[in-house]
Amino acid sequence: MRKKFTKLIIPFAAASLLLAACGEQATNNSNNTSSGQSSKVASIKDESLKAASPDSVPAKALNRKDTFIATLSTNPGGAFLPNFYKTGYDGNVSSPIFDGLVDINEKGEYTPKLAEKWEISKDGKTYTFHIRKNAKFSDGKPVTSEDVGFTLSILHDPSYAGDTDISRAHIIGGEDYKKGKAKTIKGIEIVDDQTITIKTDSVDVQALSILGGPVLSKAYYGKGYHFGNLDYLKDLYQKPMGAGPYKFDKYIPNQEVRYVANENYWNGAPKIKHFIYKIANENGLQYFQAGDVDFAGFTANADNLEQLKSVGFANIDIYTGTPISFISINNKKEYMKDAKVRQALNYGLNRQQIIDTVYQGYGEVANIPIAPVSWAYNDEGVRKFNYDPKKAKELLDEAGWKVGKNGIREKDGKKLELVYLSAKSDDGLIPIAKENYKEIGINLKPEFSDFNALVSKVDKGNYDLASFSTPMIMDPNDVVADYHSKNADKNNGYKNPALDKLIEEGQNTLDQEKRKEIYHELYKEFADNPPIILLNYRKILNGVSSRIDGVKQDPYNGILSSLTEVDITK
Amino acid sequence: MLLLFSDGGFTLKEYIIRRVLISIPILIGTSFLIFYLFALLPGDYVDSNPSLTPQRAAELREFYGFNEPVIKRYFNWIAGIFHGDLGFSFQYQQPVTKVINQFIWNSFIVSIISLVITWIIALITGVYSAMKQYSIFDSFVTFFVFAAMSIPSFFIGLLLIKIFAIDMNLLPVGGMIDVGSNTTGLAHYVEIGRHMILPVFILVLLGTGSLTRYVRTSMLEVVRQDYIRTARAKGLKESKIIFKHALKNALLPCITLLAFELPALFSGAIIIEQVFNWPGIGQVQLESLNNRDYPVLMTFTMFLSFLTILGNLFADVAYAAVDPRIRLK
Repeated sequence: MRKKFTKLIIPFAAASLLLAACGEQATNNSNNTSSGQSSKVASIKDESLKAASPDSVPAKALNRKDTFIATLSTNPGGAFLPNFYKTGYDGNVSSPIFDGLVDINEKGEYTPKLAEKWEISKDGKTYTFHIRKNAKFSDGKPVTSEDVGFTLSILHDPSYAGDTDISRAHIIGGEDYKKGKAKTIKGIEIVDDQTITIKTDSVDVQALSILGGPVLSKAYYGKGYHFGNLDYLKDLYQKPMGAGPYKFDKYIPNQEVRYVANENYWNGAPKIKHFIYKIANENGLQYFQAGDVDFAGFTANADNLEQLKSVGFANIDIYTGTPISFISINNKKEYMKDAKVRQALNYGLNRQQIIDTVYQGYGEVANIPIAPVSWAYNDEGVRKFNYDPKKAKELLDEAGWKVGKNGIREKDGKKLELVYLSAKSDDGLIPIAKENYKEIGINLKPEFSDFNALVSKVDKGNYDLASFSTPMIMDPNDVVADYHSKNADKNNGYKNPALDKLIEEGQNTLDQEKRKEIYHELYKEFADNPPIILLNYRKILNGVSSRIDGVKQDPYNGILSSLTEVDITK
Repeated sequence: MLLLFSDGGFTLKEYIIRRVLISIPILIGTSFLIFYLFALLPGDYVDSNPSLTPQRAAELREFYGFNEPVIKRYFNWIAGIFHGDLGFSFQYQQPVTKVINQFIWNSFIVSIISLVITWIIALITGVYSAMKQYSIFDSFVTFFVFAAMSIPSFFIGLLLIKIFAIDMNLLPVGGMIDVGSNTTGLAHYVEIGRHMILPVFILVLLGTGSLTRYVRTSMLEVVRQDYIRTARAKGLKESKIIFKHALKNALLPCITLLAFELPALFSGAIIIEQVFNWPGIGQVQLESLNNRDYPVLMTFTMFLSFLTILGNLFADVAYAAVDPRIRLK
């Protein structure tokens, strides 16, 4: 599961250090608390701990008068261009350089950024963005609607090999342009320098995040563009230029990325002149202790917190992130078709114990497929799968699975033996799940492989259960869309017309209040007829040097939303 | 391999030409084997990104040609090589040669310096403990050698970082340069040197052990030979016996070892690179395997195979050059 985070692709410019935080630091120190000891850790609250001795900052850090350094936990690839990079860490590197029209706030709601405002027509299909008059690229040229149009056009180019699925924006005429039938995209209308109207052919909540994404300068990235050939952009992958708070300065492969404050930034240049991402890999804590970096992210667990507390000058933040860990159930298998079996798998697993063991309590049991930090979170009246082996046994009995020889349940001569795929050789879930499931008469057979092999096995349907974790979740639709019947073949085979209807409603409604209600209903149905076993929401643990002031963090942006406000006090 | 062609004597030149010619089919065979084995790995690069929509994933597979049969992909790849095109990395979005060139030299400087130091220390201690077999020095060396080989490198690496970098603040935590450093010229090299101290120390510690044992054993075997006894009987000086007669012969088996060091010089020390956050090729190779970045993986693995074959060729030629018995057989 750890691997999944290293491979995140971030939909927004505003995404974040957060990845660094919950990503690669997931070291192997998770299995060493006995359950007796950790059962005391009931539920860990989000909190900020002040540095114990704020004056103990190492001299090395104090000598750094105009530079703020944060860790990046894994090597980036080196393609620093939104929509074109292939690893999530390139996204992190690009984030300070590129601003989008639209931003996301700490609750996951869209807010204005380069666009001072936008309007969505009554029918929900036409978007009009009004770009700020003072929005400028770091080369001093203004951000115009031409630039926005260009950014969206190249995503429709047939030679575009990036990961963004532009069809999700449903721009009218997009397909025709891609196939070469039209010279321009009909749905993109440039009204004036600051105003652009985009017409789409369906109401889809995903459109705004794509249309409002990072803006590329047409003058800079459009030089040499011919339809059907985006190869020239490769030369610019390591010379990024955008309208974000920082300008790109230098990339030293697998060592660091350097930035300089963008004097032309629309919201005022950042207070600290230099910003550096230090690629720390496993050495984040050591760099932090030695004063080489001012900010570092860690896997949230008791060991890491203890170590961080021992660093006197560390201001510590613990908060809940958006990603969700879960076990995918292969609904394509005949014996998984019965909702009772899937419910039993949920009731029969002691998820709190897994959190206590794997994360030493630094997690939260997930009952609905959205983290508590989101505006859409509401678990009132939703079936909660508190550990209940008795109920699980009853459900399996009802489903016709009778306890046979050796205590393993059987039905029509088939034993209830489930293959569980994991990409972590030290998956702390296994001993607990094996024991839990044995008690209710299920034989769990774990299999290990690396992440890509796991995905491949899942695609081919050679599994019963498989361990996964979602990437960062921006919108509640991001998690549930996979369980729509139309994705059943490509996903885990789950089909449920009642859920389909709610998913579509959630996706095709733009009003947040209405969506809240839809998702509340959806989560009830999701729990009653569960497609997967939800495991937990994860915590994020970060340390900030006491010499740095003004760092604000949230699950959607990490520290990036406060990057212009951060200042050095010592 | 030698036996196949040993029906008569060859001149050194003929011998080298024949050995080079044999290497070509070996390389081709290796390339196919590697390509096929990598293709057998379940999963491909597109699987690395779980947030792709199924439609986009299908488009990308088509785009990269992952749907084509292995044999066709192999010949596409080979054709590329003959056009001087080693491919384009999926993950790095750069030409493979550029990716490898960016990191391989970082690995090389650490390897070459550790190699030189390791050999110097191993030769001296190996010879000395062979001469003083079962002496206190010899026992001490034996003990130390086994101790050094038994300690896990990541553990001692982390311990040294804790002591020297964090507690004493003498050496850097890791990486190749100080964060944000702008040094140039001599100061820059000194800075890299400081960052190399710990990784090189550990590599030497790990490497010296086994090599010392080789040299010692080899020396012990040689000094028991008749010609050494003859030399002693002639009344030659002990130092002359050791360095002129014994060491020369004792070093022959070491040629093989040295030949195998050739690929190791470029392959990068994966564990040490991780512990000290050294931006080397080892990490890159591991990542390319995890992410199924075939162009990088194939090119680099082929490069190492080539070096291994080249190293063997050097060894055989060197044997032939220094030991006439081999060629004349």
